[in-house]
Amino acid sequence: MISKKRLSRGMFLTIFILSLMAIIAISIGAAPKQVTLRFVAANHPYTDVIKPLIPEFEKKTGMKVNVENYEENQLTQKLTVEFTSRASTVDVFMTRPLQEGRLFYKNGWYHKLNQYLPAAGWDWADYPKSIVEAVTLNREVYAIPIVTEWKTLFYRKDLFAAANLKVPTTLEELEAAAKKLHNPEKDMYGIVSRGQRGAAVTQFSSYLYSFGGDFIKDGKCVIDSPEAVEAFKYYGRLLHDYGPPGVTNMSWPQAQALFASGKVAIWTDASVLIAGIIDPGKSVVADQVGVAIFPAGPAGARPFQVVPWSVAVAAQSRQKDAALEFLKWATSKQVAKTAQLNGLTMARTSVWNDPEIVKQLYPGLAESANLTGPIAVPYDRPLMTAVGEARDAIGEVIVKAIETGGQADIASLAKIAAGKVDVLLVRAGEGPN
Amino acid sequence: MKEVRLIKAAPAFTEVITLSAKKPFRVNQLIEKNIKWLFPLPTGLFIFLMMIFPVLYTFYVSLTDWDMISGGRISFIGLDNYVNLLKEPRFFNSIKLTLYFTIMAVGIEVVLGVAIALILNRDFRGKNLVKLILLLPMVATPVAIGLAWTLFYEPTIGLGNYALKLLGLPASQWLGSSKMVIPSLALVDIWEWTPMITLIVLAGLASLPQEAFEAALVDGATPLQIIRDVTLPLLRPTILIALVLRCIDALKTFDIIYVMTTGGPGFASETLNIYAYNLSFNYFRFGAASAALVALFTLVLACNLLVLWMRKTYEL
Amino acid sequence: MKKRWDQVGWNEVKRIKWKELGWYLLVIMITIPFIFPLIWIIAAAFKTQAQIVASPPIWIFEPTLNNFKSVFMEQDFARFLWNSSVVAVASTVLSLLLGLPAAYSISRYKQQTLGVFILVARLMPGISFLMPWYILFSKIRMVDTFSALIASHMLVALPLIVWIMINYFDGLPRELEESARVDGCSIQTAFLRILLPISGPGIITATTLSFLFSWNNFMFSLVLSTHRTKTLPIAIYNFVSYAEVSWGNVMAAAVVIITPAIILTMIFQRYVIKGLTVGAVKG
Repeated sequence: MISKKRLSRGMFLTIFILSLMAIIAISIGAAPKQVTLRFVAANHPYTDVIKPLIPEFEKKTGMKVNVENYEENQLTQKLTVEFTSRASTVDVFMTRPLQEGRLFYKNGWYHKLNQYLPAAGWDWADYPKSIVEAVTLNREVYAIPIVTEWKTLFYRKDLFAAANLKVPTTLEELEAAAKKLHNPEKDMYGIVSRGQRGAAVTQFSSYLYSFGGDFIKDGKCVIDSPEAVEAFKYYGRLLHDYGPPGVTNMSWPQAQALFASGKVAIWTDASVLIAGIIDPGKSVVADQVGVAIFPAGPAGARPFQVVPWSVAVAAQSRQKDAALEFLKWATSKQVAKTAQLNGLTMARTSVWNDPEIVKQLYPGLAESANLTGPIAVPYDRPLMTAVGEARDAIGEVIVKAIETGGQADIASLAKIAAGKVDVLLVRAGEGPN
Repeated sequence: MKEVRLIKAAPAFTEVITLSAKKPFRVNQLIEKNIKWLFPLPTGLFIFLMMIFPVLYTFYVSLTDWDMISGGRISFIGLDNYVNLLKEPRFFNSIKLTLYFTIMAVGIEVVLGVAIALILNRDFRGKNLVKLILLLPMVATPVAIGLAWTLFYEPTIGLGNYALKLLGLPASQWLGSSKMVIPSLALVDIWEWTPMITLIVLAGLASLPQEAFEAALVDGATPLQIIRDVTLPLLRPTILIALVLRCIDALKTFDIIYVMTTGGPGFASETLNIYAYNLSFNYFRFGAASAALVALFTLVLACNLLVLWMRKTYEL
Repeated sequence: MKKRWDQVGWNEVKRIKWKELGWYLLVIMITIPFIFPLIWIIAAAFKTQAQIVASPPIWIFEPTLNNFKSVFMEQDFARFLWNSSVVAVASTVLSLLLGLPAAYSISRYKQQTLGVFILVARLMPGISFLMPWYILFSKIRMVDTFSALIASHMLVALPLIVWIMINYFDGLPRELEESARVDGCSIQTAFLRILLPISGPGIITATTLSFLFSWNNFMFSLVLSTHRTKTLPIAIYNFVSYAEVSWGNVMAAAVVIITPAIILTMIFQRYVIKGLTVGAVKG
């Protein structure tokens, strides 16, 4: 009896350990002879578009490309760990110029691209100047932009029609519309926008600019200016009085889910989020979504339009030539066209001018892009290296404003936050000269 | 019960002896003599090797001003990071929240877990099914749980307020309220980990000697008295183990808080671990982050020493 | 003598043990809160996103398999499954191999300091390991190997197994080993042949927990793996994208991830029971 059990247990263990060893051996010993690129991407529609196209590239060039994709924050986390250890095997990666561009640039993690761009295959002239600036620091281009997004107003066409409301063109009209459509007893809320600490800052930015405020001026943080304080008060009042409960824990997933479930009449956020509300499989109000440009404030119409994502070659890559080859292809006109046909809003001018493509875009989206472009502010967060920490400091004020409906002593809170941001600016060497 | 086992095992002994007699006697003797070291050595060595570098590394970095914001220069600054931490209100906030969350979650988990284990401690039809069901909250990946509960807690479209409405209770802002956010998170933790306590206690109950129970029954004790005076005291070491294990993990809870609130609203749910994470991967201040991690480690160590000391003093 | 069903009268009904019924009801009331969210997750896996976010909640709906289709069409999902299995099984088995003897020794020889040292391994926050381990493993070229992942998971599993088993061994009477030793058995044989077989319940619990911790481990896998060794929890995050959270896909992925975990746990438990118990032991 025992010997049999001993045998089976021993066998199980031996087989297991042997197979383990085999696996380890295989994974170590399998050193491929061909050029293998490691492309680390984000969970983004662009990645979804490019993955099926990669076999073409592999056939054309004989290289192998391994794609990994992660959620945006984990992407930054993983890249940071790898690049800091200076033993990274990443060749090409997606990166956010506004969030980590300066940080990565400062630590020398991007391979500079200026020398290659004049060459034909890059079609560098296809990018408008403002977009090129977004990926340039100290006159060095560190990444190739791929997509754009801008501040958009999403609204319920049916509710507006029923209440005889015009699409708001000023922030006053926006507040009035939200008030009219706000009906908590019937589970309907006037307006939603991000209220979650750091995440809210990017969406609050357009409100800030429209009141005449800004984040940083001449190396000092100016969110405690009278205009900025007005903006905080307006945003806080708007969401406190006419927003849904729990808005201070809302980043875009929660706001999007709420709009898609038909419980809110107006939503201001980034254009790219339209994907989750116009698909009948994802949204109960898919056919009632209206798109408009962000209303104007006392200081005029100043929505943001930014380059949220770009692709770069890692400075630590040991296969730079191959990596550049891949980068050139991944950001090429053809790939951009395919992406735009799939509903993305790309950074290249040529795809916007292609009428076949423009036809495909959701009605109102193209129009809002065109109207926003000329008046847009090219950043949606403070332009600095320690942007994560700054966003949290500013986000704290936003949360307080919402919690108290703008009644708290915003001026003092904003001053404290501005002080914190000033410290961060100085520490990064971005303070006043 | 145990006697039956012994008798059944008796024939095994003779087999055992014949088997071991076949092995070279000297090796056996050598093993036996040094068993005190031989048995724990691989484990101890493995843990030491895996831990030594990270521990030294973290301590070292905590004494520097390493900060990717300023371009990654590293210079030794001694205890400055710790001094700054002690001046930072957010640090104390995070400690307060960590303790609040842990005490609430683990307290309720232990009480509930033991109660459920006591109830389930008998053979019944479907016992294995129930044990399997209880396993499920622990099996489900934290990310999925976090996202699902975020939806439950959505004040407008979530099941949470729907249930409250059905019960006639006022709706709550759950994760959106700075007051309710920690209890809401604790509830998720309780849901997830009470089964672990139950399973550990059930295993412990299985190893309890039956004589004490039989004696108490003979003395005419009621079930409640048995539980209070026989079971619980005998279970104390097991409960303690479960408590210690759970405390360690609860103090370090990360996944659900990260997915559900990232420390918000404002900083109302930013426990020490989340604060350290923010410092590391949001602010890129590795020096300060390491100091916070050392603080977290100290906190967890202190809590555990406290529990173990209580065990010693109350002779559990 | 069994009565025919139409001969059963009021007396028989009264004899139904109401206490038993009440007790079963209690058990059901206990299990419902634990299983309800999971039932919701499973239901959500068959809903469209619109149905998931609808309020009031939709209980009756037409199920769709789209979410599962998306999950399986995800490139490499089968590989994730394999990777997770290899790492979880290997780290659990190795942790048992190392941890059981250690727990025995600490329990029998009261090696308290050693016990605390092993527990201390669990005290360190996971984040503090990320950078040093990446540096370490990349220096010895072990990043993106299973060994690195398994070793990192073992650091979580080993202290858990050791501590649960110390307590369990403490509860077992020494007479068993002592009588075996009197009969001429060496300590290690007594441990192997006598003690382990009756440690079924403790080992099952320790194994299950260790396996699950490894199966769901996210942070270590995020940093220490690349596309070749990626594990399942990362797959769930695949559906948390830049512009939308595919709730249905996330829930479907969760269901797909939970199921093998349950199956593997059940297989493990059966193996542990079969491999260890001698004769008809209650377990």
